[in-house]
Amino acid sequence: MGLKGNAAIVGAAQYKPEKYATAPRMFHLEQVADLAGMALADAGLKASDIDGLVIHGPQFHEAQVFVPAMAAEYLGLSLNFAEVVDLGGCSSVAAVWRAAMAVEMGLCQAVLCVIPARMAPFGPDEDPSWMARAMRFGGHSTAFGAPEAEFDLPYGHMGQNTGYAMIAQRYAAKYGYDPVAMAKIAVDQRTNALANPQASFFGKPLSIEDVLASKMVAEPLRVLEIVMPVAGGAAVIVASKEVAARAKNRGACITGFGEHLYFKSPTYATEMTDTPIGPAAERAFAMAGIKRSDVQAAQIYDCYTITVLLTLEDAGFAPKGEGMRWVREHDLTYKGNFPMNTHGGQLSFGQSGTAGGMSQVIEAFHQISGRAGERQLKRCDTVFVSGTGGVMSEQGALILQGA
Amino acid sequence: MSTNKPLPTPTEISAPYWNGLKEGRLTLPHCKSCGHWIFFPRRHCDKCWSQDLEWKEVKGTGTLYTYTLTRVPTLPDFADDMPQKMAVVELDEGVRINTTLIGLDEADIKVGMRVKPVFDTVKSDGTALLRFTAAHKDIPSRIDSTPAALAAAAEAQASAEPEAAKRQVRFDDEAAMKALVSETYSAWSNQVVVDQALIDEFARLSGDDYWIHTDPERARKQSPFGGTIAHGALVQVLQSRFRIPLDYEVVGFNNMLNYGSDRLRFPAPVPTGSRIQARSRVKAVEKLPKGMQMTIEIVTHVVGSERPSVINDLVILYM
Repeated sequence: MGLKGNAAIVGAAQYKPEKYATAPRMFHLEQVADLAGMALADAGLKASDIDGLVIHGPQFHEAQVFVPAMAAEYLGLSLNFAEVVDLGGCSSVAAVWRAAMAVEMGLCQAVLCVIPARMAPFGPDEDPSWMARAMRFGGHSTAFGAPEAEFDLPYGHMGQNTGYAMIAQRYAAKYGYDPVAMAKIAVDQRTNALANPQASFFGKPLSIEDVLASKMVAEPLRVLEIVMPVAGGAAVIVASKEVAARAKNRGACITGFGEHLYFKSPTYATEMTDTPIGPAAERAFAMAGIKRSDVQAAQIYDCYTITVLLTLEDAGFAPKGEGMRWVREHDLTYKGNFPMNTHGGQLSFGQSGTAGGMSQVIEAFHQISGRAGERQLKRCDTVFVSGTGGVMSEQGALILQGA
Repeated sequence: MSTNKPLPTPTEISAPYWNGLKEGRLTLPHCKSCGHWIFFPRRHCDKCWSQDLEWKEVKGTGTLYTYTLTRVPTLPDFADDMPQKMAVVELDEGVRINTTLIGLDEADIKVGMRVKPVFDTVKSDGTALLRFTAAHKDIPSRIDSTPAALAAAAEAQASAEPEAAKRQVRFDDEAAMKALVSETYSAWSNQVVVDQALIDEFARLSGDDYWIHTDPERARKQSPFGGTIAHGALVQVLQSRFRIPLDYEVVGFNNMLNYGSDRLRFPAPVPTGSRIQARSRVKAVEKLPKGMQMTIEIVTHVVGSERPSVINDLVILYM
């Protein structure tokens, strides 16, 4: 069952993360065209090679529905497959395997996966305060009949911080908690960012003490354990073996994937500290037919340090309940014995909205294609990538392997 | 509490749950086919998919599944609850509920502790939220947090506190007056509730009837604050209602002039229904030919909020 590894990421592009206030304002269609053009140039392919599209639908500025058709028309592309993903931070990983599936089924020869995440210019009738209103409930639905509007918002349960904090607090009660190990995740990733000129925090070293002295947001999470939202956007091109053969770079073949979700609020999880990445990663490894120890780098979705810890455990890299000890015993930098989030992770790269997860996919591709600059790993043929949406609610895994 | 806090809108399916809370009873949907308890209320049993459900009353006792204490409010309107004691409770029936804890010190809160329900009426129409406290805690199972009840409680508390003895400082004793200058703020004043009636009255007096202050319906839909907010100027003048506990009083003068303000800022909004309080410090004392000039920085905050809603450097001339 699953993929044979005949589809590969052959090109990628992403905007350097920037503060929302100073980033260029571009229509989302315009960003899609811009990012697609850069990804094609990176791959050495032509626009006419593309015959599939996977795009992030929610919060698309120019349309709420019919986004793929509008994008195909704007781009001037003729498509055999078009798909919208709506899986929050898991959307990037989800887009890549959907594209690989379309390629392996013979539907497409090259699929554009794209997520615009810069703000669009405001029209004369657009009220800038809609942003403030939309942000007020941090992605929680306020619609009549939405369970979270009725049973969460009146109690102040909203956004992501408190949900992740409550998962961390339960973890602490079950297994113990070491704030130093948690800070080390952010610090090792910062070391990686110091070797990545594209990262938001490039040139800004960070110490364990800095993390532990940073402002407490929701016990036990401190502000330096939480991603900084930035403007950005990203695209990758997933192509067939035939197209990959004429691409410029060594391709990153998608040899395994998994996806798992069954709740929106982790309150309703069977056990809050056993996250959906467990079954997703299990499927991905089984499909690829490889062991955890075959992985040479892990690009792990890191909206919070606790997300990384639980992914390390539930994806099978660290024993359950011993993740903090495991983190203390491993060097997670690109020079270390478990290279993880070698671009700095979103904690140090910046989280460009839903495109944030694409930074992990693209870093895996850059490492496999040998283009990671100063942080390039000596040997990098097999990479694990994870994606996480909502509050650990939708999770996905990819195994990428060099062609 | 801030009346801009989101409140539940019951649906046809969930109405029995909310009606139960109004009466101080916790009722849950129960599956007649497989015996599974269901939360939140929905069309079907999420275990066996039967639609043959019934409402049953439960005791509401359970254990604390997890919690967090917030140091940044999840919404500005929750600033008066800081730290928010956000919790997930697992009822003895096995269902989990998002809630908040009340009546507990931070150190008392432990994952796994036994808890019991507290029915908290939050709106004058009887709308109640389900909160929890420790099982051994001796507090009423029904409490009233409607704005009117909170205002009355704040007033009662303020009038019950005896005024502390103050040391007297002569206005013309330059050294003693200058010694009052401090970087440290006083203790907090009594609390005042800023409700819609007060805001409407101020709008009428001042002529500033902009919808963001006076039209709750429009503000709920269009304001970035999710409801109306008080005029900055109103919050400023409410300063006269605060009794700020100071350990000194200036004496010996014939006249005291309010000279105006060196700095007046409105850094944070006051959502309608919020409780506000103030504290102050003496920022500067200067001897002038006319008398002694004192600059007092008065900061007004929504209760629990770190950011002030009004900063006023009030200049007083004693002569």
